[in-house]
Amino acid sequence: MIEGYFRMSVAHTTFPAYSRARTESPVRPAILKQPVSAEATIASEADIRSGLAEHLDRLWRYGFVLSHERDVADDLVQATCVRALERVDQFVAGTRLDRWLFSILHSIWLNEIRARRVRQGQGFVDADEALTFDGARDTETHVMANQVLKQVNALPEAQRSAVFLAYVEGLSYREVAAILDVPIGTVMSRLAAARAKLSEAVPAGGFE
Amino acid sequence: MNTKHSMPSDEELTAFIDGELGPEEAARIEAMVEKDEAVVERLEFLARASLPYKQAFAPLLDAAPRARLVAMLSAIPAARPPRPAAFVSRRGFLGALAASVVAGVAVDRAMIGVGASFSRKDENSEWRAVVAEYISLYTPQTLAGPVPARDVQAAQLASLDGNLGLQLSPEQVALPDIDFKRAQILQYDGKPLAQIAYLDPETGPMALCIVASDGGPKAPDIEGRKGMNVVYWANATHAFMLIGHAPVDRMTEIADAVRSKISV
Repeated sequence: MIEGYFRMSVAHTTFPAYSRARTESPVRPAILKQPVSAEATIASEADIRSGLAEHLDRLWRYGFVLSHERDVADDLVQATCVRALERVDQFVAGTRLDRWLFSILHSIWLNEIRARRVRQGQGFVDADEALTFDGARDTETHVMANQVLKQVNALPEAQRSAVFLAYVEGLSYREVAAILDVPIGTVMSRLAAARAKLSEAVPAGGFE
Repeated sequence: MNTKHSMPSDEELTAFIDGELGPEEAARIEAMVEKDEAVVERLEFLARASLPYKQAFAPLLDAAPRARLVAMLSAIPAARPPRPAAFVSRRGFLGALAASVVAGVAVDRAMIGVGASFSRKDENSEWRAVVAEYISLYTPQTLAGPVPARDVQAAQLASLDGNLGLQLSPEQVALPDIDFKRAQILQYDGKPLAQIAYLDPETGPMALCIVASDGGPKAPDIEGRKGMNVVYWANATHAFMLIGHAPVDRMTEIADAVRSKISV
């Protein structure tokens, strides 16, 4: 569990006015789930291993955003590594490895860990007490950060994961849809609903 | 689609803010913004949620237990060569079984070496790793043949009692729609390990394995090993694991049925 939960009070941060911030093309290869075709280059296990090593932090962060628990995030990353190494032949070289790993982690969360927790009736961590971080918590940056984290964390899981992937990881709608295994329209409506909620929580001039 | 005079949906405005609309649709929204104050207001409202998300979540990257994760990753063994489709003889099978058990112990020691804290909530996982190693070698052919008669089952189960202090009847270990194949005593780490093997017509080999345990009762938990699902739990005297290829939901259901019949 995260200690040092800090309840923010004041932040002096301005937020950019709306803008068409995304510079990436919306049309990008989706994550491939189909078996590799004969022509495709098959990635080696060593490639996947080094890719995993590179993305461990980001995978852990996504696991933590989903579960709100460090232990579960640890387990999710481990299971993702095992699964990815078992399925090396399903990854198509030339596509984005990090997207593929995110989709593996998400599916393990959804189908195995989350399903089990719901069935066993274990409550999820109180939204207010998770997802904040310790460390130099008395700086303005952290106060602001904790406020944003708190608002995102209060979103329902489906919206939270879409917001995280689109706005934190910077993925396109298409990529988010592939990872969450939902239609693009669903991603759009989750983000729109999340924006409506977040905007309610943010005063017109930002947090202040 | 909306006409020029209607209000765009929140979805459209969100996609516009996020730069996810095609040029034509974006131009259409822009034109509406020019003409309609209500569209501007809604757009500004939704854009208030354009928060510095990347900055806010960056410290969570530093919070990741990187060293532990790296050690965990390097402890995952390299992929094995494809397993043989069938065993040519019982002798060959037993040889492969012994080899895999040794490999399984080595692998799991390596995992444990990563640090007790990594799996502190489950320090008794080693035997399950070993069981998963050898059950992963089973094919439906391994367990081919008729279902033994009740008295044969009872006799096999009686051997478990002598070794493990566990009195089980064929009815207690019967699984719904899944054939009992055999019960036998194996040895793990110098201690008896009961294995009751089943064949699920739908998903293939399945096993209920039991060791003596003084770790105290433990509620069921589930994990994936060697591409199979494992439900494991413990009572005051024994630790149990049900392993098979069935989906998590079904495995849990079967495990619940077993638990209700074997007193906990």
